[in-house]
Amino acid sequence: MKIKEYLKDKMYLFLLFFGIYSITLLLLLAFKTDKSLTIVLSLLQMIFLLTILSVDYGRKKKFYTNLLENIKNLDKAYFVLETLEKPNFYEGKLMVEALYEINKSMCEMVKTLEMQQSDFKEYIEMWIHEVKIPISSLILMAHNHKEKFDKKSMLQLHRLEEYVEQVLYYARCENAENDYLIKEVNLENVVSKVALKNKDELLENKIDFQVKETKYQIYTDAKWLEFILNQIVNNSIKYRNENRASYIKIEAREEKDKIILSILDNGIGIKESDIKRVFEKTFTGHNGRIKTSSTGMGLFIAKNLCEKLGHKISLESKENEYTKVFITFYKNEFYTVTK
Amino acid sequence: MEKIMIVEDDKIIASELQKLLVSSDYEAIILQDFQNAETEILSVNPDLLLLDINIPYLNGEILLEKIREKSTIPIIMVTSKNSEIDEVLSMSYGADDYITKPYNPTILLLRIGAVLKRTKAKGDTITYKDLTIYTKKGIIKKEKEEIVLTKNEMIIFNYLLNNQNRIVTRDELMTDLWNNNEYINDNALTVNISRLRNKLKEIGHEDAIETRKGIGYILS
Repeated sequence: MKIKEYLKDKMYLFLLFFGIYSITLLLLLAFKTDKSLTIVLSLLQMIFLLTILSVDYGRKKKFYTNLLENIKNLDKAYFVLETLEKPNFYEGKLMVEALYEINKSMCEMVKTLEMQQSDFKEYIEMWIHEVKIPISSLILMAHNHKEKFDKKSMLQLHRLEEYVEQVLYYARCENAENDYLIKEVNLENVVSKVALKNKDELLENKIDFQVKETKYQIYTDAKWLEFILNQIVNNSIKYRNENRASYIKIEAREEKDKIILSILDNGIGIKESDIKRVFEKTFTGHNGRIKTSSTGMGLFIAKNLCEKLGHKISLESKENEYTKVFITFYKNEFYTVTK
Repeated sequence: MEKIMIVEDDKIIASELQKLLVSSDYEAIILQDFQNAETEILSVNPDLLLLDINIPYLNGEILLEKIREKSTIPIIMVTSKNSEIDEVLSMSYGADDYITKPYNPTILLLRIGAVLKRTKAKGDTITYKDLTIYTKKGIIKKEKEEIVLTKNEMIIFNYLLNNQNRIVTRDELMTDLWNNNEYINDNALTVNISRLRNKLKEIGHEDAIETRKGIGYILS
């Protein structure tokens, strides 16, 4: 609460005061009273005005300063009511009451939306389990009746499966509930699963897949990490440079307090102006305009999941040369203590 | 012949799974009565159980727990529930493996093979005609002769040995190699097979691996 603004707000009081003061002065002059009485009365009126203002200012300053400061400092400003002392002046009481009601109605609204969202997520999860049944049947049928299904239909089935999986993880990463489980996982096993998943596409496109030094124990949710890695490998496959022999190189290295996994490809790379935005939702950039099937969701979901798991994901690239994605797993003391 | 029981309420998946298992020389039985699943499973007494989580009446995880109270048969959970929590829960109830749908059929067979091998405590040696194969060491012995195979050659030979008298596709071999973290390409597979053939020729089994054009290979 600024004193200047406060006084400006109280301008009417000054005007009123000077009005009354002028009338008093005029009357005193008209009745030809003693000069000293005029001075005493003037002083008294001044003191009277200053007292009223400073008492009023004092009562309000504490409350409003607290209110504004706390709003600024809290990361969730709507909790501010809980941090305030009850004001002892009428306007303040009205203010608190109004804030309380506003808060309450907003909370109800948020609650309804949260419930809707969690219902929706539940439905998506259920739907995904359902849709996986026909996909599984098709994959089994394709395997059992190779004469009717060719390799191409298998690749399409695989694509279908990947898109379904992406929806599942989008629902998971956008939701407040954290339904992951962090435990000790061998990085090599996760890489191996991702490799197997993409085997057909990698072989089909003659992409050399090289893995070295990934035998590290890390703390993560294996299924989530598998999804994250799969998104990155999918991008490497999708944005390969068809004019040269492609490769994907995966390796990990250990540093003092972290393990860094890197996925390098010699694909078409990313324009410098696009690099900063690749983790943004629905951002497709220059490459998205070349390839039609870009959704701009893969890396966004990957980053979100990484944040929830406490990993860091970053990327460097040079257009027409390479793209290298890093995932950093921190050796958190918390994990080792609970172990 | 090992007996595998399928607990899966989707009829199409169950029957396709049965075909897959039968073609790999297993006897496959589909559970019929979900209401009395536990009794039926115990009376069939299979060598391995493929158990789904979303099944009628009892949840698969509860059924797993109930079976574990009475039996130690190997159980592989096969489910569309793709979450670490379900996997850890299933493993803690005593499942031997956990596979999520949709799965690669070759991988499913490999994992079934691995669980059976582990629980049957089968040795690391296989005999083929007059040869003894030490799979872990990658050595083939014929009386006093000894031949060393590379890791890739051993994986290929082992797969062929486990699927004798059946045509094995290149894709199956490739899947097994990749499953063992050997990410090789088509040319390398061809090279590995011809090297394996040469090594077999050295100890008198020149035509052990036959090529079936356009389909794959067969160990006769």
